[in-house]
This record gives sequence, C-alpha cells and structure tokens, in this order.
Amino acid sequence: MALSTHTTPSGFVLPSIHAAKPFFTQQPNSATQKTVSDNWTRLILSYARHRKLFTLRVEDATDDKSEWDEVLRNPRIQRRLRPSHLAAILSSMVAANQAMYEPPNQTSSVLLFWRSPEEWAQVLYDWANSTGHLNTIMTFYEIVEPPVPSPLEGLPLPILRKAISVLTKSARAQVIAVADGEGVRFLPGAPGR
Amino acid sequence: MGGNQSVPKVTKQDRAILDLKLQRDKVRQYQKKIQVVLDREHEIAKQQLAAGNKDRALVALRKRKYQEGLLAKTDAQLENLEKLVSTIEFSLVEVSVLHGLQQGNEVLKEIHKELNVENVERILEETQEAREYQREVDEMLANALTLEDEEAVQAELRELQLETLGVQDTERPVTLPSVPQEVPVSKEPEAQPEERERVPVAA
Repeated sequence: MALSTHTTPSGFVLPSIHAAKPFFTQQPNSATQKTVSDNWTRLILSYARHRKLFTLRVEDATDDKSEWDEVLRNPRIQRRLRPSHLAAILSSMVAANQAMYEPPNQTSSVLLFWRSPEEWAQVLYDWANSTGHLNTIMTFYEIVEPPVPSPLEGLPLPILRKAISVLTKSARAQVIAVADGEGVRFLPGAPGR
Repeated sequence: MGGNQSVPKVTKQDRAILDLKLQRDKVRQYQKKIQVVLDREHEIAKQQLAAGNKDRALVALRKRKYQEGLLAKTDAQLENLEKLVSTIEFSLVEVSVLHGLQQGNEVLKEIHKELNVENVERILEETQEAREYQREVDEMLANALTLEDEEAVQAELRELQLETLGVQDTERPVTLPSVPQEVPVSKEPEAQPEERERVPVAA
C-alpha cells in the first residue's frame, strides 16, 4: 500500500505518515513511541504555523469541530488520535520547550511555540523598530491587538511576556508596571548580541 | 554602555502615559464587548420576529439602541484619550528638540569662547606682520640683483613669452622701413633682369 500526502481544505499538506494507521496508536516500545511523538510534534508545530494557531487542548482530539480536526483525525483511514496519546505528546513537547502549559499547573492545554520565545523576541523588536515604536511606551494590548495588521496580532500574552523578558535581558526593552497593568518600552540598544 | 546600566529610569511621565494608554485599551475592550452585545440583540430581534413575538423583538431593538448610544459615547471618550496621548507624545518630542537646541547652543558658546574678537584681531595682526616681513624679504632679494641682471631677466622673460605664447612684446618699437621720399623712376627696366641671368653661378 502506498502512503501519500494529502492536502487539506485549508491548504496544508499532511505528510504521508499521516496516512499510516500505526501513527495514531501509542506504541508500547519506547523508541518507536519517541519517533511517533517526534513526528507528531513536527506536524503539530507546522500546522500551527500554517494556521497561526497558538493553543492546543487535549479535548481537541475528541472534538470534530475543533480547528485541529484536519490533523488529529484522518477519516480516510478511520483513525484519530486518542486524548491520552495527545496528552503524552503534549507533555513531551513541554519537556522539549516547544510548548508551555497555559494556564499553568494543569496538563490539558498548551501554548505552542512554533516560534521560540527568542524568535518571537526578534520579530517583536524588528516590528517595533520598523514601525517607529522605539522609545515609546506601549501596552501589551496595543501590541497584540494593533489597529493595523502586524505579525504579532493575536499573540498570546504569556508568549509575549516571554519574548519581552528575552529582550529585557539584552537591554532592548524595559517593562514598566503601574497599578493598572504593565507596559513595555523598546530601547534602541545594541542589537544582535 | 554596559549591559543593564543603559536602561533609562522610569519617570513619572512614563507612568502617566502608560496609565493613559491602559485606560484607552480598556475603553477599546469595552467597545468590543458592546459590539458583541449589539450583534446578539440584532440576532435576537430577528429570531423573535420570525417567531411572531413582535414585543420581544421590540425590546431587543430598544436594548440595541441603548447600547448603540453607549458605543457612540465611548467613541468620544476614546477620541479624547487618544488625543491626550498623542499630545503628550508630541510634547515629549518638543522637549527633546528643545534639549537638542540647548546642547547645540552650549557647544556654540564653547566654540565662541575660543573664537573671541581679541584673539581674532591678534591673529589677523600677526598674519599682517608676517606678510609685511615676507614682502621685505622679497624686496631685499630683488634689490640684491644688479640692474644688468634685472635687464637680462626681463629679456629672458620676453623671449619665453615669444616662444610659449607667440606674442610679440608690444613694448618693443616695431622698426619699419621709412617711406621713400622720391617718385621711383624706372631706368632701363628690361635690362636689369637680363643682367641678372648672365651672372655666372659659382660652383
């Protein structure tokens, strides 16, 4: 039997492994399971990047209306990812710093890092630089809900915070806190350190 | 410029601006919420009308009208906030321009200190003296030449001018033959050329 790629209605190309039935089953052999898990991780991150999705919940594995349905289910071979399997994959992703549990202290919902916090930091700084926002004080809300489209639109606040903390470490940003909330000021420091 | 030392201090103004912006964000979020309610009430009114409940539909529409009023009010407030924010930001720009002007002014003053009038006068005087001295030296050197030497130099100069420019020295008088006083008389005009032919050519 030949496994072939499949293009979803949203234009995402599923790899051929997605058409293999064992891919959807948790493997008893830990080495085999690691391969399966790595492939799922890659698939999930690239799909997240394609659709600009940030959250993945264990419930998405059972919800046919979820935006993850195209990936977590393959009706052509009557297979779907079990929630327990998805939970295991999520925990390995969190361990590899490719995702974080959000809200913290639970294990059923994650924020995906299809860009690492360091990459987001660079995107953020480049954006601030190119839009002339250096040296002005901005609210977090202003950054993720800008009046004009930007690459940072819809970025979850926990990821934004992580990116900003990367920038503060290299003196390229400064967090300002007041009673009502927080803001950030980007500084024209020495970039590319 | 080492590490975290270059981070500027958070001033009172910074906090005020941030506060203002946070308020603005809140108003924006509030507007979003109202917009959602607006849309929902519209849906409800439609559904109630379809179900034949005219009164219910009217209530929903009234609610919607009220929310629309709120939205308009918050729009005005938002405008105020945004105006204030941009005014403050513009004032900050003005302050930094003023600061720049001040610094420039100070630098100019420093430079002027170096460049005071007395110094300039003194330097000009010194230059003048130096120039006079130079002229004296020139004169002395010129006088050291004898008259003949000077004439020879002048002659050389003329020659050079002739060579390089092909220009005649206009000062030298042009010597032309004087005009003959008598009317020329031709004596034996034919004989002369014959005589010349007969001259034997040497070698």
